[in-house]
Amino acid sequence: MAADPIHQFQINNLFPLGTVGGQEIAFTNSALFMGISVVGIVLLMITATAGRSLVPGRAQSLAELSYEFVADMIKSTAGTEGMRFFPFVFTIFMFVLFLNVLGMLPLAGFAVTSHIIVTAALALLVFFTVIIYGLAHNGLRFFKLFVPSGIPIYILPLIVFIEIMSFLSRPISHSVRLFANVLAGHITLKVFAGFVVMLGAFGVGGWLGAILPLGMTVALTALELLVAFLQAYVFAILTCIYLNDAIHPGH
Amino acid sequence: MARGLRLSAELVGGVIVGAGLGLGFDYLVGSSPWGFIVFLLFGFAGGVLTVMRSAGVIPPRNV
Repeated sequence: MAADPIHQFQINNLFPLGTVGGQEIAFTNSALFMGISVVGIVLLMITATAGRSLVPGRAQSLAELSYEFVADMIKSTAGTEGMRFFPFVFTIFMFVLFLNVLGMLPLAGFAVTSHIIVTAALALLVFFTVIIYGLAHNGLRFFKLFVPSGIPIYILPLIVFIEIMSFLSRPISHSVRLFANVLAGHITLKVFAGFVVMLGAFGVGGWLGAILPLGMTVALTALELLVAFLQAYVFAILTCIYLNDAIHPGH
Repeated sequence: MARGLRLSAELVGGVIVGAGLGLGFDYLVGSSPWGFIVFLLFGFAGGVLTVMRSAGVIPPRNV
C-alpha cells in the first residue's frame, strides 16, 4: 500500500442538497466536519457552563479557561474596546481550533482547514469586518491607517501606496498561513507513515529499519497537535491585531 | 518552521496582490506590461514591509 499523501484531502459528496445555477450543491465530508465542530463547541460551552458551580468542575473550568484565554488575547492586543468583538474572535478561535484538532483524529479525521477556500473565507470575513467597521466607526479617519506620521511629504505618496499594498495582502497571508501549516503537516505525517509500511514489506530487516520513521511519525503527531493549537491561536491573534486597526486607526 | 511559513506567506502575499492588481490595471488601461511591472515591485515592497513589521525589525504601525 503506497499511500498517496494527497488522497486524505479529497472532498467527498455525502448527499446532494440541490442545485444552484446549474451547480450541484452537496453535503460534503468537509461540511460534516464543520458541523461536528460547531456541535462540539456548542455542547462544550452550554453543557459545561450549565451547572454554574462556584468551584468549577473539569468541563466548566475548560470552558472558563477558553473564555479567559481569548479575553486576555483581545485585551492585550486591541484594548478593552476590542471586547465588543469578543463573540467574533471567540467563534473564530474555537472553530479553527476544533477543525484543526478534529483533523488530527486517526483514521476518520479530515482536515477542513487544509483547504484554502475555508481559510480564505474566514480571512476575508475578518478583512471586510475590519474595513466596514473601521469606516462606520471612524469615518474618513480610518484612512489615516495608510498615512504613517512623521514621513516627509515628498515620499509620502510612495509610502501610502506601499502601505495600501501591505494592507491588501493581509487576507492572503492570513489564510495561506493556516492552510499551508495544516496541509504541510498532514502531508509530512502521511509520508513518514507511508515509509513504515513500505519498509515493513522488506521482511525482518525492513521492520528494524521501520522503527526510525515510526518514531518520527509519533513525534510528528505530537508536533501537529501543537501546530493545530498554535495556528488557531495565531489566526485569532492576527484577527485581533487587524481589528485593532479598525478600532484605533492612525495614532 | 511555523515562523518561516508565516513570514514567507506574508512576503508571497504581497507579491501576489501586486501582481494581481497590476494585471487588472493593465486589463483596464491597456498598458501591458508596465502596470504589471510597477505594481509587482510595489507589491514586493509591501510584502517586505509586512515581513519586517511582523519580524519586529521595525516597530509596528502604532507608534
